[in-house]
Amino acid sequence: MTTATQDARRRRSERHDRYRYRDTKLALLMLAPVLLLLGIFVIWPAVYAGFLSFQDWSFYKDPVFVGFKNFTDVLSDPLFLATIGRGFMFVLMTVPPMLVLAYLFSSLVVAVSRRFASILKVSVYIPTIISGVITSIIFVLIYNYSGGLLNAFLGLFGIDPVAWIGDPAWALLAIAIPAVWLGMGLTSLIMVAAMVDIPTEYYEAAAMEGAGWWQKTFYITIPQMKNVFLYLLVTGFVAAIQQFELPLVMTGGGPLDSTTLPNLFIFNHFRNDINVGYSIAAALLLFVVLGSVSALVFKFVNSERLVD
Amino acid sequence: MAIHTSRKRRFVLSALGVITAVGLLAGCGSSTPGQGADEGKGEAGVTTVQFWHRTFTPAENAWYKEIVKKYNASQDKIKVVDTEVPGDAWDQKMKAAQAAGRAPDIYTHPGSIQDAVNAGQLYELNKVVDQAKLDEIIDAAQPVSQIDGKYYAYPLLLEPQAVLFWNKAMLDKAGVDSSVGPATWDDLLAACAKIQPTLAKGTYCIAPASDAGTFAWSTVGQQYNFAGHTALSADWSKPDINNDSYKELMSKYKELWDKGYMPKQALAAYQEGKDFGEQKVAFKVSGSWMMSEIGSDFKDMLTNTGVGKFPDASGGERTATTLGNFKWVIDAKSKNAEAAGKFLEWALAGDPANLVPFFVDTQFTKVPVRQSVQDAVAKDEGAAKAPWSKVVIDEIAPTAIPEPTYPWDVSLAVGTAMESVMKGAATPDAAIATAEKAIQTVIDRDKLSEKAPKN
Repeated sequence: MTTATQDARRRRSERHDRYRYRDTKLALLMLAPVLLLLGIFVIWPAVYAGFLSFQDWSFYKDPVFVGFKNFTDVLSDPLFLATIGRGFMFVLMTVPPMLVLAYLFSSLVVAVSRRFASILKVSVYIPTIISGVITSIIFVLIYNYSGGLLNAFLGLFGIDPVAWIGDPAWALLAIAIPAVWLGMGLTSLIMVAAMVDIPTEYYEAAAMEGAGWWQKTFYITIPQMKNVFLYLLVTGFVAAIQQFELPLVMTGGGPLDSTTLPNLFIFNHFRNDINVGYSIAAALLLFVVLGSVSALVFKFVNSERLVD
Repeated sequence: MAIHTSRKRRFVLSALGVITAVGLLAGCGSSTPGQGADEGKGEAGVTTVQFWHRTFTPAENAWYKEIVKKYNASQDKIKVVDTEVPGDAWDQKMKAAQAAGRAPDIYTHPGSIQDAVNAGQLYELNKVVDQAKLDEIIDAAQPVSQIDGKYYAYPLLLEPQAVLFWNKAMLDKAGVDSSVGPATWDDLLAACAKIQPTLAKGTYCIAPASDAGTFAWSTVGQQYNFAGHTALSADWSKPDINNDSYKELMSKYKELWDKGYMPKQALAAYQEGKDFGEQKVAFKVSGSWMMSEIGSDFKDMLTNTGVGKFPDASGGERTATTLGNFKWVIDAKSKNAEAAGKFLEWALAGDPANLVPFFVDTQFTKVPVRQSVQDAVAKDEGAAKAPWSKVVIDEIAPTAIPEPTYPWDVSLAVGTAMESVMKGAATPDAAIATAEKAIQTVIDRDKLSEKAPKN
């Protein structure tokens, strides 16, 4: 290879780089506002939380360095471990039913006439715009032991009232239902959008080959929606395990801690403890759990570029 | 030329970016409303004192508003700004304020002061309140006011936390004596056996505490009543709940639960009187304060309500209730401690006439912490029409024990055990073993044996 060609190549690459990085400064400038905000409201607090998690601090005395004590306190606390387990249980109770229901619902939406589809979409989206606190109050009224709608309805069939949010056996399920109700809207709309995007030629071709509804669903619809499922699975998981307002308003974490989800556990410690180190350590550990599970989901369910 | 345009555009864009960032940040940094720019020193030497108090019953809230108004009118050097904070929002609002270094100068404080004093949260009152005024606090209220002679809190009141209320008409209907309440647990269970068949659908014999958190604080007196001690050994080195007395207490609640004498899901919070006022329960366990809610929200029920000691299991030897309290404290970081102290002294330790309306409007169910105030309240003409006042102040309060000074997590472990046994989620032995383990964790974590009270 001659020097001339090398020179030419270098020059070409330099020109290319200059072309490629021409806008870097501008990009950074445009990113500045959001980076600044992120720095102040996310990065700095995270760093500071990391610092405080190694301290004993009560707002009134200077922080005292205690090493890993807060972390070992959290990890050796059976209530914290139970709360994480309960968080996973809650995910199982909410995310799969929500995905299945949303899938069935969106299948219905794409199958009916355009006008009816609009009505369906609006009606399923309404819960999404209702605040979680309002939902909690509505469901508390429904679950009320004496005089609640649900028990009154069951009473018609001669069934004795059930303490939906007073009985440890029912309480977690009782808060999972409003969680599904709240999350259905957005999940369904995203699925509808994904279904509409699948080229109709696939279905026509499949129909010509004599494929039925099940075959179309399993060989076309679901594989084509894989990325959307992955997205919904990860966001659904993170949202469910972080659920906070529903147990806070409906049960306060009771009965017998059966609805104390991780965030409520941390919040209760933050409210009651004199020192903040424990709550911060617990929050950082929850962050680790969330991060690892999200990473695992991504590892096992790879997102792929769809075939054009 | 092209380059020039692009530069100009770049300049404009970057300027826009900077303006946006500054604008957003300025929005975030706006000052908190209600806080003076220079920490309370307003115009013309007037000191502003921030005062936070919880939402209590309507009569109490009205008194708090009035006392602040009266104080502000009585002088012109100090201006007290009062904020009523709902009970369930209190903790997070306070924590957020403390974290930002903007805690109010003076605020209400329930329970024991031990933890707050250890954390350095409370200002020493001896520095700003006349010693003679501090000495006026009655003996029963001393343990919640001072530690080793240093005062950190001035109580407004004492009140028994577990009192039995009953609906006289409902008891009469079932043929149960409504002039006196059931004296023992056996009497209570026998009464419920008689009352249950007479009840309408959706009504119950009794509404006691029913969740771990409420059991934790409201049954400490009952634990003492059954066992003669509370959850920790005297030197705070180990839990002391693995005994027949604690098991028996738990089994009594299980009986109420199993026989359907109590609702499976609370109809109202322990602190509230709604279920009792709406006549959905024949008996209600609550603090003596519930009477003031009956007085304000269910006036018709006042004469239909019986008030008495919580049923006994000790053969009349020991009380079955703790004495709750509400105190005013000054924040250790307050820059206006002097002014806050003046306000506290005027309101709580000054003219008894300032306090009389509080105790009258709350239906004579709370105990004033100064003898002079007790006398003034007893002289009020309404006192004669409130026979329950005698029961609360003369029969229940004098023998009641103070609230425990050990950490909340210890009480909560016991409360959780009680709820698990009551609801059949665990046997008494298993529940007590779990609670013992949880308490031991707290003992080790917080090094409790070093913090045990000396005597």
